[in-house]
Amino acid sequence: MEYPGYVTGLRDVSLQINKGDFVFFVGKTGAGKSTLIKLLTREVSHTQGIVTLDGRDLGRIREREIPGLRREMGIVPQDFALLPRKRVWENVAYAMRAVGHSRTEVRRKVPAILDSVNIGHRADAFPHQLSGGEQQRVAIARALINNPQLLIADEPTGNLDAVRSWEIMELLKSLNLKGTTVLVASHDEMVIHRMARRIVTLEAGAIVSDSANEEAKPDA
Amino acid sequence: MLDRIAFVFGEAMIALRRNGFMTFAAISTVAVSLFLLGGLGYAYMRAVDYAHAIPGKFDMRVYLRQGTDASAISGAAAKIRALPGVASVAWIPKEKAWAKEKKEDPANTIGIDNPYPDAFKITIKRLSDGDPVADQLRQMSVIDPDPGVVYLKDEQHLIDEGLKVMRWLGLFIASLLFFTAGVLIFNAIKLTITHRRREIRIMQLVGASTFTVKVPFLIEGTVQGILGGCISALMLYGAQNVFLKFLMDLDARVQISAFPTLFAMAILGSVGGAYGLLCSWLAVATPNRAQ
Repeated sequence: MEYPGYVTGLRDVSLQINKGDFVFFVGKTGAGKSTLIKLLTREVSHTQGIVTLDGRDLGRIREREIPGLRREMGIVPQDFALLPRKRVWENVAYAMRAVGHSRTEVRRKVPAILDSVNIGHRADAFPHQLSGGEQQRVAIARALINNPQLLIADEPTGNLDAVRSWEIMELLKSLNLKGTTVLVASHDEMVIHRMARRIVTLEAGAIVSDSANEEAKPDA
Repeated sequence: MLDRIAFVFGEAMIALRRNGFMTFAAISTVAVSLFLLGGLGYAYMRAVDYAHAIPGKFDMRVYLRQGTDASAISGAAAKIRALPGVASVAWIPKEKAWAKEKKEDPANTIGIDNPYPDAFKITIKRLSDGDPVADQLRQMSVIDPDPGVVYLKDEQHLIDEGLKVMRWLGLFIASLLFFTAGVLIFNAIKLTITHRRREIRIMQLVGASTFTVKVPFLIEGTVQGILGGCISALMLYGAQNVFLKFLMDLDARVQISAFPTLFAMAILGSVGGAYGLLCSWLAVATPNRAQ
């Protein structure tokens, strides 16, 4: 995958992720973690090769089909992207209304979604009244509005201390246990190794290691 | 569907409220430009009506050579009718003209032979048609070279020039303001896009359709245009009332028809709305370099 100006984002990447997996993408800044995620969300298109999601070639889907693709996944951005003038429940409700849910549906579903990420007790708070971990929970709650089978999180613990980071990881783990495929771009090595999940390490746009392959190797 | 429409309208109204200063600037400029465009157009039409109502301004009198026979007269009338710019031709027999003169001034006409030649009364379509029609008439052999063609040449020129200046100056100023209004609507929408980039990003993240993301901006521009158009119609209504009061104070005997406020609101509101939609569409379609 190349960005305009012949800047290579990813090269020689071959990767398969199964339904229900929990995968970390690790690497330094500029390693290609975000590019890999953006290829899946179709924020960028690959210049060579094939990217498929649930058997569908993402390179072939049209511009107007991208919103439909995004409704099949939940995306948690690094900066939370919360609306500062809206309360917690309004942040989730706003996203639901934007994708066409009726007011009645919103009223019914928002409390359940907030409870599912343990933030229901702060429903009436504004984002600036929340801790970083709580804001991240709201961002995750918003990502769950379409009941996605795939959850993608870009640096979800980037702005959090160790305790809050672990809480978020526990939350992602619980979602994964319910069957959601979780992909996380992170460079928080302590949390990643403690989670003991599949780790794909990127460097300069290439995969340098994949714990799934290493585990499959026969002992020497 | 109703929920979705309510959502996009709600988003547009929030943007209009939050972007207050730019909204006010865009609406007021649309209003002033349409006020000038509509007002000058209305004043121009009234001035044309007024010019038409002045007796003789569009009339020409054409005198024929003495002794022109009836068939030559009817042939000439047909040729004149075919000239571009001629609205109507009426033959005035010399006997009829002389009888009228004798009736109006019996003391000075008694004992005199009829000095009048046969004549045509020609009405032209536009004031600017006077000179070209007169030139073509003078070339016809049945027309007497002296006095030949008689019409209010200087008055026609004056009124015609006045209307021309009014038309072009009005168009120029109003077009300039209309363009400025378009730039303001464009900028207002760009500003809204910049202000609401977080909302746009959230909508894109959760998979909102292009309709949901873009239509609020189009509604915002259209509303600005419609409001500007309606305000300009009210301004025109006010201006006409002030003008009428001024004429009444002068005791002027000029009749001006009532201002069609609702019709003007419908027309100017539609023009403003269509223009607002166009400008906001351009703002949405062009990439935001700030982002």
